Amino acid sequence: MSSLLKLSQVEAHIGQFHILHDISFEVPKGEVTVLLGRNGAGKTTTLRTIMGLNPVYRGSITYNGEQITNLKPHLIANKGIGYVPEDQGVFEDLTVGENLRVAMKREDESTTERLEWILELFPDLKKFWKKPSGQLSGGQKQMLAIARAYVNENDLLLIDEPSKGLAPIVVEKVMETILQMKEKTTIVLVEQNFMMASKIGDQFYIIDDGQTVHNGLMGELREDKALMKKYLGVS
Amino acid sequence: MVLILRNMTKSNLIYLGIAALLLFLPMIITGSTKFMITQIFVFAIFAMSYDLLLGYTGIISFGHAMFFGIGAYSTAIFMDHFDSSLIALFIAILVAVLFAALVSFIVGMLTLRLKTHFYAMLTLAFAGLFLVAAEKMRWLTRGNDGFTIKAPEILRDSTTIYIISLISLVLIFFGLRRLTNSPFGRVLVAIRENEHRTESLGYNVLHYKVLVTVISGVVASLAGVLYILSLRFVNTGVFGTDLTIDVLLMTIIGGVGTLVGPIIGAALIELAHDWISGLANVHWIFERWLILYGIVYILMVIFFPLGIVGTIREKFSGRKKSKNNAKQKAS
Amino acid sequence: MDLIASLTINGLATGMLIFLLAAGLTLIFGLMSVLNFAHGGLFIWGAYTGVWIYSMSESFFLAIITAIITGLVLGLITERLIIRPVYGNHIQQILITLGFMIVLQELIKVVFGPDIKAVNAPAWLAGNFQVGEITLIKYRLFIIAVGLLVFFTIYLILKKTRIGLIVRAGVMNREMVQTLGINIRFVFMAVFMVGAALAALSGILHAPYSGSIYAEMGLEFSILAFIVVVIGGMGSFTGSLFAALLVGLAQAYMAYYFPALSLAVNMLIMVVVLVFRPQGLFKVKG
Repeated sequence: MSSLLKLSQVEAHIGQFHILHDISFEVPKGEVTVLLGRNGAGKTTTLRTIMGLNPVYRGSITYNGEQITNLKPHLIANKGIGYVPEDQGVFEDLTVGENLRVAMKREDESTTERLEWILELFPDLKKFWKKPSGQLSGGQKQMLAIARAYVNENDLLLIDEPSKGLAPIVVEKVMETILQMKEKTTIVLVEQNFMMASKIGDQFYIIDDGQTVHNGLMGELREDKALMKKYLGVS
Repeated sequence: MVLILRNMTKSNLIYLGIAALLLFLPMIITGSTKFMITQIFVFAIFAMSYDLLLGYTGIISFGHAMFFGIGAYSTAIFMDHFDSSLIALFIAILVAVLFAALVSFIVGMLTLRLKTHFYAMLTLAFAGLFLVAAEKMRWLTRGNDGFTIKAPEILRDSTTIYIISLISLVLIFFGLRRLTNSPFGRVLVAIRENEHRTESLGYNVLHYKVLVTVISGVVASLAGVLYILSLRFVNTGVFGTDLTIDVLLMTIIGGVGTLVGPIIGAALIELAHDWISGLANVHWIFERWLILYGIVYILMVIFFPLGIVGTIREKFSGRKKSKNNAKQKAS
Repeated sequence: MDLIASLTINGLATGMLIFLLAAGLTLIFGLMSVLNFAHGGLFIWGAYTGVWIYSMSESFFLAIITAIITGLVLGLITERLIIRPVYGNHIQQILITLGFMIVLQELIKVVFGPDIKAVNAPAWLAGNFQVGEITLIKYRLFIIAVGLLVFFTIYLILKKTRIGLIVRAGVMNREMVQTLGINIRFVFMAVFMVGAALAALSGILHAPYSGSIYAEMGLEFSILAFIVVVIGGMGSFTGSLFAALLVGLAQAYMAYYFPALSLAVNMLIMVVVLVFRPQGLFKVKG
């Protein structure tokens, strides 16, 4: 299987701090790749760096075989990468519908089709179409953010901790929808909630102190208690 | 004496040496040169007070002239309305300092917990208010025409004023140097570099910022006092935006965050003033000297944000660093 | 009754002029965290170029068009030459815009001469209407009408069009907008130019209103716009209208009853807002 996204030996700084030392991983098409690791290991920074929100100091990022290292964020997005940030980044004063309209570059058939598909997946968004998104619940905001990243012709979604701050039952629901989206798009997921990660993920990479230190198939990780304890503090 | 000298760093000795030389300068120069050098001393103090804000703490004020103006008007009004005795002068200085401290405290408390822009905006607005007030309260200030004052008897000699200004400059320079090298000064620099981190390290950032604006305001008002004593004339120009631009330019040209830089900057700008006003007869464009200042200022901000002293220091330390790196690699 | 009506209309007209200046300021700030201290410079350039064309063509309409074009061009130059080179550095940005303000102001004196110029309203806007015992000055009503027209046009653009939605979204979360494939720099340049054009429009409208123009009025007037931006909430378009009208009315009434205190009163309103609601009356959510 060909890899859609490839990072090799990526280094990045934030201000004078060296946040990423050596991040290398490949994302196969059509699969869910999960980035695991402790708080502050550099997972969010990795996604931001892919998106062009953080400059790459050394190393390279390729998407679909094309160099995207240090391109401007909007150019990277236009290559077909959607991004759902950690805090969802919903435009709170805009309504649900307006949030989606900002994202939709064209209002042609395929975009409308994608919109209809995603609205079927998240019926709440249709219900609250005219409601300011600031008034949505945490789970609904998460769904709006995912839908917004999806409506354009994006073949890859970067989703940062969708379960953060949500009630278990809501997490369950978000998880189900991501599982359904898997059919249509490739996903890179940052997740602290191991239960969720292990159910959705096909393969995983562990990031520790700004480096990718371990990878494999999700199924293997569930068995390897020692590894989980070492890097994730889960037992 | 030897002990004191031994405790001095080399740079301090150099500064003191220069100051000592300047002390004897009045013997050989003419009155107008003396007056101009006195002005340089006064503006050097003013510019250093600005450096404390911009260079050390990263606070931008667009109304720093108002503190200078407070010092100037307090002195002038007391000298004018009461007798021109040393006691009246002493009270005037006290009023200037207290008033400057109060105004900078209020402006600081209002805006320093917000983004940098707020302080810049509010100081611009306050300075505008002082300017309007000075123009409207003609019974006290005689408006834009201004008025001349009588200085206390013993301060009328230009050499005396020269020496007092020089001594004030030296004292304030070493005082501020001491302050910026102290733990307090290091916190200020930490705030400039990264406000959030300083806050999360447990420092009350607002407290430090307000204190530094108060110190800066007080020093600026003292510069205003000396200005009036040397000029013996005041008008609303002391509250003007030109003056704020002047002090910004002095600080930036000389080098922010260096204290020495603003002194050099003050000298350069004052000399340039003198030179350009001489050129006004040559071509009318030189009457619009402010436009030249504005262009120089913009170019400095874009291309040499570190200023003269800062750029030299960076080159110097850059060389040192690369030497050190080479050493490390060799070993 | 006549007095109150006249003061109110005067205040609303002043408010509208401040609003035109503040609207650009607040949107530019909201979108890029750039506070343009050179905004007052665009105001005077609008006034001077407009008045120049007005004196030659005797058409006030042409004067307005000229001012708007001047604003657009100067806005483009300012964004390219002044703001962009120091993009991402707040301190440099704030410092440099004030420098440019001074250059624009002095350049006026070089090009148009340093003296105050008198300006009269065009014949079709001179004079007044008489409604009962109330006298309504035509030119002031004209300013209010133009202000309202601008407000509602921009309001509708922000509300209904995709570009408007992008601007509003950008004010809330600039980074997120970029990750949706939108070139925020381009959007910013457009907003900057429109903001500059509004400032220039404010300048030319102000000229016959005050009866004279001089180079320093840009900085003086922009202080009021800064006060408005703080009161209305930095980044809030609607907030800038309400705050501008408030400041305009306060200005007009104080100028009549306690002329010495008119600026002081507006400063006082701002101080009260800063103490009790530092984010401004209309806060923009993130």
